[in-house]
Amino acid sequence: MSASTAADEQAWNLRQLAAVAAVALVRVWRHRSPAVVLGCAQRSLRPAIERRAEGVVALVDRPAGGGAVLAGPWMISLSIVLPSGHPLLRGNLIECYRWLGQLHVEALAECGVRGRALRSHELRGADAALGASAVSWACFGALSPWEVVAPDGRKLVGLAQRRQRDGVLLVAGTLVADPDWPLLCGVMGHPEDEAALRRRAVSCRELAGRALEPRRFAAALERLIDASVRGQTTFTENVV
Amino acid sequence: MIEITLPDDVWQDVEPGTEALVEKWLVGEGDTVRAGQPIAEVVIVKAHQEIVAPADGRIEKIQVKADETFGKGRPLALLSE
Repeated sequence: MSASTAADEQAWNLRQLAAVAAVALVRVWRHRSPAVVLGCAQRSLRPAIERRAEGVVALVDRPAGGGAVLAGPWMISLSIVLPSGHPLLRGNLIECYRWLGQLHVEALAECGVRGRALRSHELRGADAALGASAVSWACFGALSPWEVVAPDGRKLVGLAQRRQRDGVLLVAGTLVADPDWPLLCGVMGHPEDEAALRRRAVSCRELAGRALEPRRFAAALERLIDASVRGQTTFTENVV
Repeated sequence: MIEITLPDDVWQDVEPGTEALVEKWLVGEGDTVRAGQPIAEVVIVKAHQEIVAPADGRIEKIQVKADETFGKGRPLALLSE
């Protein structure tokens, strides 16, 4: 097992996109130390967030979209880099989310965690059923197509993408345990949203009543990915 | 004059009414571009998406500025060949 940080993960993602290989590259990550990871569209918020994060927690930019995430030991993330022309890219961006969401549903089921991937037309109803308004600045505070939710509708897995001429990066983050919500809300300048995030997100540990075994989950993801692309994938050393 | 838009296939299966965000322009008005050159980055449904020049030419006008949102079909910029 090798140590890694959220900065290592984002740097790896960018490096692979800059030199896209002929086959898909897959890597599963788990970080020992926390870091706030901002979505690419949150750049304008960075100066204020940087001041609050200084000396408290690392701050990292994600090359894909979506809201802020608190990476750390409570999360397992997945990076998949697909070269243009890869069979998984025959569909559109929503199709990529469908595949990625369903992949996570199956991998979680193998680890004893029940979830389902939300279809686009279910999003409004699912949001309304969670009661409080969406927390748009946080990945786990809002729902997007094919993200994975628990049977009660709380979000378990967040998805995002980066699509360039030569390749596509698909990323996912699964809550294996409860994140430090007060830390995330404080650094983002929204301490008032902590309760809403707790109502809108849930971890595998809370759902299954026990911790998810990271290596088993990573192995399930790898096997399911390999089955989908029939060997056109290279798995790099996982960091779980 | 060519209207540069986010291609229709990107909007496929996206919920009607969804808006995309121009994250940043990689070129400015008056710049010369080559076909296939990345000229802007937008975000739609949590997906960061490159926009490439559809032909060689000059960016005459940017119609949706960085940090502004836009709907399906709205031209982002005008390109003269």
